[in-house]
Amino acid sequence: MAVPERRDRRATVWDAPTRLVHWLIALLIPFSWWSAHNDHLPWHRLSGYCILGLLVFRLIWGFIGASTSRFGEFVSGPARVRAYLAGRLSAGVGHNPLGGWSVVAMLTALAAQVGLGLFSIDEDSLEPGPLAALVSFDTARAIAHIHHLMFWVVIALVVLHLGAIAFYAARGRHLTRAMIVGRAALPPGAQAPRLVPVWRAVLAAAAAAALVWFVAHGLRL
Amino acid sequence: MRPSHRLALAALALVVVGSAAIADVSGPQAVKARQAHMKALGASAKAVGEQIRAPAADLGVVRAEAAKIDAAAKALPTWFPAGSGPSSGAKTEALPLIWTDTVGFAAKQRALAAAAAKFDQIAQAGDAAAINPAFREVAAACKSCHQTYKEKDKD
Repeated sequence: MAVPERRDRRATVWDAPTRLVHWLIALLIPFSWWSAHNDHLPWHRLSGYCILGLLVFRLIWGFIGASTSRFGEFVSGPARVRAYLAGRLSAGVGHNPLGGWSVVAMLTALAAQVGLGLFSIDEDSLEPGPLAALVSFDTARAIAHIHHLMFWVVIALVVLHLGAIAFYAARGRHLTRAMIVGRAALPPGAQAPRLVPVWRAVLAAAAAAALVWFVAHGLRL
Repeated sequence: MRPSHRLALAALALVVVGSAAIADVSGPQAVKARQAHMKALGASAKAVGEQIRAPAADLGVVRAEAAKIDAAAKALPTWFPAGSGPSSGAKTEALPLIWTDTVGFAAKQRALAAAAAKFDQIAQAGDAAAINPAFREVAAACKSCHQTYKEKDKD
C-alpha cells in the first residue's frame, strides 16, 4: 500500500544528548536551590559540578552535535529575529530565531551562576567553592551574595521559557513532547535534522568530565 | 561666680555634650568594629580550611591562624556592647535576641571559646590528624550561633 503523500513526515528533531542535557539541568536547578536552602552544601556543590559538566558538554555539542543543537544553526542575527516576529519566516525545524536567543541567555546565565558558585564561601568558611581559595574571604562572601541574586535571573529565564511553551501551546504547537521523545512531525518543506554518531557525544562528555574534575580540584592536577 | 569657676563649668559642659555626641555614634561604631572582627575571623577560618584541604598542609599557617581564632573567640563577648544591635540604626544582621536571650548567647560564646582553645592547643602541638575535626568543631560553633542570633540572608 502506498503511503499517502499528505501524511506527516516524522524525524528526530532533538538528538538524545541535547534532550538529556535539557532534562538533567531542569532537575538540577530545583535541586540546587533546595540543597542550598536546606543547608546541604556538599550536595549543592555536587549539583553545581554536574551543571558545570552539562554546560561544558552543551557548549561542545553546540559545535559538533546534531544540526538542531548547533549554535551556528540556531543563533540568528536581528534581521531574522525581526522577520520571525513579523511572521515572515516559514516554519522550520529546531529553535526559532527568538528561541535560539533564549537558549543562549539561559546557558549564559547558568554559566555565570555556576561560575560565581565556584568562588563562593559560606559565612562560617565551612563549605567553600573549589576556587574560593583564589580570592579573599570578603571577595568570596561578596561573590556568594551575587550568586544569591543571580538565582533570580535564572528563575526569570525559566519563567520566560515556561511562558513561551504555554504561549505556543495556546496556539496549538505542543513543544514538550518532542523534547522528551525527540521525534516530531516536520513542517512541509522542512528538511530532517542531520544527526551525528554517538561516539562524538562520548568524547564531548569525557572532555566535560575532565574539565569539571580539574575545576573541582581547585585547578590543581 | 569666679571666672575660673565659669571656665571649669564651661569645660564640664563641653565634656558632657561631647560625651553625649560620642555616645550617639558608639552603637554604629561597635557594629563596624564587630563586622571587621568577624571578617578577620572568617578569613582565618578560610585560611585554615584551605590548608586542611591542601595536598600538604602548611602547619605554620594553621598555627598562626589558630592562635588568632583562639584570641578572637576569647575577645568575642566584648564585641556585642548594649546598643550595637539593629536599634543603633546601623546596618547589622545581629538579631535583638542577642541582648534579650543573654544566657543562651553566653552559652554559644562559651562553646566557641572552648572549641577554639582546643583547636589552638592541637594546632600548636602540630597534631595533624586531630586538626581537621577540631577545626570543624570551631566552624560548627560559629554556625550554631549564627543560625539563632544572626539574620538569615534575605535573598
